[in-house]
Amino acid sequence: MVRLKVRRQDGDRVWHETFDVKDTPGMSVLDALFYVQERLDGGLCFRYSCRGAVCGSCAMLINKVPRLACRTQVSSAKNEMNVDAVKWGALARPVVKVAKDEILIEPLPNFNVIRDLVVDMEHFYDLLDHIKPWISAGDEVPKGGNLMSPEVEQQIEVYTNCILCATCHGACPAAGRDEMYLGPAALAKAWRFYLDPREQEKDKHARLEAVDNQSGLWGCDVVFKCVAVCPKKVTPTQGILAQRRQIPKNRIKKVFKRGKNSED
Amino acid sequence: MITHDIIIIGGGLAGLRAALEAHNRGTDVAVISKVHPIRSHSVAAQGGVNASLVHDDSWEAHALDTVRGSDYLADQDAVEVLCREAPERVLEMEHWGTLFSRTRDGHIAQRPFGGAGFPRTCYAGDRTGHNLLHTLHEQVLRARIKIYREWLVTRLVVDGGRCTGFIAMHTPDSKLEAFRAKATVLATGGYGRIYQRSTNAIINRGYGISLAYHAGVPLQDMEFVQFHPTTLLGTNILITEGARGEGGYLYNNRHERFMEKYATGMMELAPRDIVARSIQTEVDEGRGFDGGYVQLDITHLGEKKIEERLGGIRQISIDFAGIDPVKEPIPVQPGQHYSMGGVSCDANGATPLEGLYAAGECACISVHGANRLGGNSLLETIVFGKRAGEHAAGYVQETDVQGENTHLDSLASEEQNISDLMGGDGESFAVVRDELRSVMQQDVGVFRNQAGLQNAVETIRELREKGRNVRVKSGATLFNFELLNAIELKGMLELGQVIAKGALAREESRGAHYRTDFLERDDEHWLRHTLAYQTPEGPRLEYKEVTITQFQPKRREY
Repeated sequence: MVRLKVRRQDGDRVWHETFDVKDTPGMSVLDALFYVQERLDGGLCFRYSCRGAVCGSCAMLINKVPRLACRTQVSSAKNEMNVDAVKWGALARPVVKVAKDEILIEPLPNFNVIRDLVVDMEHFYDLLDHIKPWISAGDEVPKGGNLMSPEVEQQIEVYTNCILCATCHGACPAAGRDEMYLGPAALAKAWRFYLDPREQEKDKHARLEAVDNQSGLWGCDVVFKCVAVCPKKVTPTQGILAQRRQIPKNRIKKVFKRGKNSED
Repeated sequence: MITHDIIIIGGGLAGLRAALEAHNRGTDVAVISKVHPIRSHSVAAQGGVNASLVHDDSWEAHALDTVRGSDYLADQDAVEVLCREAPERVLEMEHWGTLFSRTRDGHIAQRPFGGAGFPRTCYAGDRTGHNLLHTLHEQVLRARIKIYREWLVTRLVVDGGRCTGFIAMHTPDSKLEAFRAKATVLATGGYGRIYQRSTNAIINRGYGISLAYHAGVPLQDMEFVQFHPTTLLGTNILITEGARGEGGYLYNNRHERFMEKYATGMMELAPRDIVARSIQTEVDEGRGFDGGYVQLDITHLGEKKIEERLGGIRQISIDFAGIDPVKEPIPVQPGQHYSMGGVSCDANGATPLEGLYAAGECACISVHGANRLGGNSLLETIVFGKRAGEHAAGYVQETDVQGENTHLDSLASEEQNISDLMGGDGESFAVVRDELRSVMQQDVGVFRNQAGLQNAVETIRELREKGRNVRVKSGATLFNFELLNAIELKGMLELGQVIAKGALAREESRGAHYRTDFLERDDEHWLRHTLAYQTPEGPRLEYKEVTITQFQPKRREY
């Protein structure tokens, strides 16, 4: 048996409710939540889709750690007596004491709660939209396709693995302080497009300039909490630092280019 | 009331590709989806997308493989379209930003896949669906196409023999709204979750297919259900065919590579129907492992190659089965994976109902016939998604928008239907759903026979009765998932009935439909498509001819 302690919310009313769930081998926290929804309380709400850690729907705070419910096994979560939440990147108390055979489940932090475990993701999608997350491809497809070396592909792949689940955003202290901060997912995505040889130079530069401010690259505390919680091993902090380094490099290039032009 | 020229129902690959095409052709198009588009099941596709890209391969070779794979039930004119347009569609996705894996010289990498005579499956590691879907979503954002997220379409509106839009429920507040469109495109994916063991996302309940069925559109070839040979024991999460394409072996409990007995030539890379039956036979005859599985061994590929090309399934095996495939074999068993059947439509996506189009897994054109080849479903979404968008865009140029009265009537009756579902006493959706899943798994699975199918037809008939008494206990208005489940359950029961009845009627074995009481393919009687029409007494079955152009039916041998 495992006891789920779920933070619930309906309008202004907030309460914690416990549900006893018969756990079976291989049961995920998402399975346990379904058990509650289908047998104990049909009103409990949470988002879900793939149950295989690829769609990014079910991010929530489990024992104070932002993670995907589908990827978190009940058997391990119920024995997390003392969660080192700092290491994991949670925001609340440094060390969380959870009773044996109990799992504490709360909505993802840094988001407005709509009801129970469902948060308002629109804000997250809006932040992402700020960086114009797309390749500005021309109408003509080059014959035979674009070429790209496997090395470049692998460099970008670290960032394309992002599933936009927002666990990083839930773990990010800067996002907690500043609602306008673009956050780890959007900034990592910005670097993904910068690295891509298919992206137009002018669009790369425009995107980099757009994040060269306190709501962007310089808002990051560089505490790697996003990296710690990412279920897909994406490294937003490294992407942010790489862009910070890229800015002066581009300035030097620009000056050099201007100098060269005046000689012509 | 909300009005657009074209509304696409579903935000997976087929839906987004259709939307982009319609937008590029200057129409006012919107997408409506019950989840955010990137949560669609396309994201979970792993192994790749087929296209004859290099000069020693050809679209004709691709077409022959596809037709053979289909056990000759595919319509060959449609297969030609699929294979001819494949290179252009794949290169376009690459141009828009899909991060394909690369060869040393920088071209898109391709791997061998089941039933294919050439390594023509383009891949992005084992996250091809993820990469394609995110790319298309990015391009849809770029085009500023309106997306209605978290809306469940509950019924289509038909007026004067035309589909003129639909009624949908906004999940965040459970309010119903009427949508008016000159053309509606269904791109709602499959129904895997009517089976107990399925690779599909939990949201794949097939409700979109049942919308068309309700509107009088026939469902085609629904008895052809693909069981993927290798799904992870326990959760039945997909373990890509790419694992075998990269050189993985299947072993029984005597450590025999048993595929030797069933497909001496292609071994583990025989088409999916054959490998799934082989595994099931090993298990049924006592050569599997406790719990009903066999082993998929990729340890000999080495950590570097596994991490590079199969990193996703490595992580899945660790997270969901506690097994690292670098060190030990993966426990796998067959599970429902894909629907060859669907809403009957032509190669432009047009269904028999004017104004209604279909594309992707929910559609049946038919390019997969009785068994789909791996790598052809992602391809189908981008080829036929594009074509459906294109043709819907042409259609709306010469069509007037309909009046509002039928919509208002439909809205009122749908509001009544929903309110009838609410209440304390009644059946729980989960109980009825689980019984459906269990009978589909047991009697309409890899191996079928008359007694089992008759039992399934009868059981589902009873479940439909029981289903009428399902009530939603939760009165929540914000995100009432119990209500969503109760609504979609009705569609699941109907699809189950169509599948079981079609399977009972088809007295032959062809592709994924295998009857232990009719072991042979019977071209004389059954080289034809099933069409199921909804009637108050249940599905009425009709049949239509298969289109054969260049490949005459032959016995399949691998």
